[in-house]
Amino acid sequence: MTSDPSAQDIERDLTGLWKPQGEIQASGLRRIYTTNLVAYASDHEDGYRVEGILGDVVQYHPGRYILVRPAADTTEAPLRYYVSGRCLSWSDPEKRVCCDMVKLVAQKEVIENLYGFVFSILVPDLPVEFWWPGDMPYYNSFFEHMAKQATRVWVDSAKFKDPIQSVGRLAAFWHNRYPRTTLADMNWIRIQRWQALLAELFDGDWAKYLKQIKQVTIEYGEGSTPLRSFYLAAWLAAQLGWRHHQPRLAAFTDRLVFQGPQGEIEVLLKPVPAPDDRADRIFAVGIMTEGESPALFTVVRDEDPHTVIARSEINHKLAFSRVVTFEHLHSDDVLAIGFKHYEADPVWKRTLQMMGTILIHPDMTLEQKKQD
Amino acid sequence: MPTPVLLENPLRQGLSSGRTAPPCSLVIYGASGDLTVRKLVPALFELYEKHLLPVSFNLIGISRSVISDEDFRKKLKDFLAKAKPQFSEAVWNSFSQNFHYIAGGYDDFKVYQALSARLDELDEKNGTMGNRIFYLSTPPNVFEVIISNLGAAGLAKEDKGFSRVVIEKPFGHDLESAKELNVKVREVFKEHQIYRIDHYLGKETVQNFLVMRFANSIFEPIWNRRHVDHIQITASEDLGVGTRAGYYESAGILRDMFQNHLFQVMCLIAMEPPVTFEANAIRDEKLKILQAIRPFDEHSVKHLAVRGQYGPGFLAGQKVPGYREEEGVNPKSNTPTYAAIKIFLDTWRWHGVPFLLRSAKRLPKRTTEAAIQFKEPPNLLFKNNLNTLTPNVLIIRIQPDEGITLKFDTKVPGMTMEGRTVNMDFRYGTSFAEGTSEAYERLLLDCMLGDATLFIRGDEAEAAWAALMPVIHHWETTEPETPFPNYEAGTWGPVEADNMLERPWRHWRKV
Repeated sequence: MTSDPSAQDIERDLTGLWKPQGEIQASGLRRIYTTNLVAYASDHEDGYRVEGILGDVVQYHPGRYILVRPAADTTEAPLRYYVSGRCLSWSDPEKRVCCDMVKLVAQKEVIENLYGFVFSILVPDLPVEFWWPGDMPYYNSFFEHMAKQATRVWVDSAKFKDPIQSVGRLAAFWHNRYPRTTLADMNWIRIQRWQALLAELFDGDWAKYLKQIKQVTIEYGEGSTPLRSFYLAAWLAAQLGWRHHQPRLAAFTDRLVFQGPQGEIEVLLKPVPAPDDRADRIFAVGIMTEGESPALFTVVRDEDPHTVIARSEINHKLAFSRVVTFEHLHSDDVLAIGFKHYEADPVWKRTLQMMGTILIHPDMTLEQKKQD
Repeated sequence: MPTPVLLENPLRQGLSSGRTAPPCSLVIYGASGDLTVRKLVPALFELYEKHLLPVSFNLIGISRSVISDEDFRKKLKDFLAKAKPQFSEAVWNSFSQNFHYIAGGYDDFKVYQALSARLDELDEKNGTMGNRIFYLSTPPNVFEVIISNLGAAGLAKEDKGFSRVVIEKPFGHDLESAKELNVKVREVFKEHQIYRIDHYLGKETVQNFLVMRFANSIFEPIWNRRHVDHIQITASEDLGVGTRAGYYESAGILRDMFQNHLFQVMCLIAMEPPVTFEANAIRDEKLKILQAIRPFDEHSVKHLAVRGQYGPGFLAGQKVPGYREEEGVNPKSNTPTYAAIKIFLDTWRWHGVPFLLRSAKRLPKRTTEAAIQFKEPPNLLFKNNLNTLTPNVLIIRIQPDEGITLKFDTKVPGMTMEGRTVNMDFRYGTSFAEGTSEAYERLLLDCMLGDATLFIRGDEAEAAWAALMPVIHHWETTEPETPFPNYEAGTWGPVEADNMLERPWRHWRKV
């Protein structure tokens, strides 16, 4: 730890960490960088949480991890740093993989302009993932500069305090404001397995039922915000060519109506009792069709928390049923999955646009005011 | 070739499981065998877990053993439950709900009629749309009878969906039998329906040869006779012949490893860039390499090929028997368990560059790799000061510890001009979070998807045999130059192999 640090100080300290030292050298340590990850924590407590998650993500994507958080009180130094090494032994105990963690603790006003310092300690020629774990800021210089320079910005809409405003804003301005930076939402990764499970119900001969969908029911935990369910509904709508058929929503509702090629489609969002720590999850999805052979396609969490059951009934007779593994994804799992693919996800972009047509226009005057 | 009738499913767009196979039935001949239990079904289970196996999927096992559907499933489950740390009974039951078993002889036509009826019934019930894959995981002596019966039962027709046949190695015993087998298979199936499998091609690192060579621009300019001194391809095993003595006695190391695995690796290293990344474009280029192998004759084979057989020795401190003492092996056997061959390719790119291929049993360790050794700099500036510099080597490790290493020379810090060779290392296991998939996972999925890129075409199989036959013939008709056994188990093989390198700077790598 030191005061008035420079990038050279950090590099020097990091190099010092890895200088061969007796037994450590013999154990075959090697530093591996596959990515840069810059994360921001809003306060001291959040810092611990984020640091813990980074420590887990590093297991899957070794790289240089930089955590930025505000100082706990104003008497602390304007900027302090801590360097540490993370060594993983999962790949080969003989040749352990190590990477760096740099923690920058700064006064809030320093953080506003800390982006240049962060850029100077990134490993060159590697992607820069910028994780902003909290709500979308209206204007924050650090966020603004990082978002413009990073390869990809990760937000977590599950943590948005005002999800309708924040998601609406992402849909409204992201592409124009940060045309070169990919936006990614951890919440989107969380529902991808639901998407896969639903998609495979409609492979082959079953695809014809997609045009006959009449009603979709999505069950979510009582007392939580059904943003994830909204996402899923918006994804179905975007992929199946439905258009939202109601006035724009200023608040979450339990019923959405879309206009599809064959008529009206109703999406019901149904709260079901759930323990607090699981309330934000989706619990079941049912898709009902009409036509000559009415069908019901469902994906439901099993009693076994590690599995879900996907099944279909045609003409009230079981067509097929399958049980598949469904492990809960923690934040580190979500980021680890997300980091695997660099390409922008066009389906997510379409879904976000669809969300933009369902939700009320965001209050952009506030946006402008903050920037001014 | 009819395209499988798949209605568009827009919900599939953009999903990471985008390569999900179309609905189909997989029929495995030799279903009670080790390959099915240890490799094929675990690979299918992985595909299921990754959402890459279609919802509409049937597996029918066929074998001579008289067992019930239940016993068949239990045998598969028992292995998987032990092998997979987080095995879920419920998931298994769901995965295996459409597994069936038919007991019967491979030459019994009634079995094929019963199979045909069962497949039609399952198509109707499970929506598999007439798509069928027949996987021959049997001894090669029954390939022909199975294929001809499949044809007679009308199962090779593609009138409803696709019909494909997967043929395990060895594809023939020699050139003549490979040609005959090709003729027999083609009487029933068209070439686009035939998937000759070499599981080496399903390995991630082998596929990476293509990406490394053709997605990077730094390698191609030096990938030729002007810069490469020689190329070594090694596939070593620490194990002995084990329970495979019956097969191995008639096959030997050349048929077991060279005609297929090592030649395929050589092709991927040596081939010209294909015009597209499509199965036939790639296979055309591989074929050219096999056809460019300078033919061996009675004279050259003595200098360009070294054979060996392991005697007793020690591995991991344990005494191990020699080949001739292994169960099921003729005590006077001259079957080679070691082979090293120097191959020249008569192409502009590789003229004069030896490809040194080596494979053996009972070497000190199990490893497969290709090493491209580059020439020394034309003017050795540091020859007076530096005695520890070595030529650059690019090593591509296929198994275990998949990755790539570049050896290059650097100065040791200090006041003297002392040099040392160091490694620049890339490892799949450390740079990528996701583990590499089992080869059979990839190959089964590709076959279901109709992608034959990683399978061997009939003309390739014949060309590989044609190139190797003079060596096989010579070795089978003459006594070994040095009486067998000529290397001790746990060592790097017979000393004669060193003599074939000819140049003082060439050494077999101690991998």
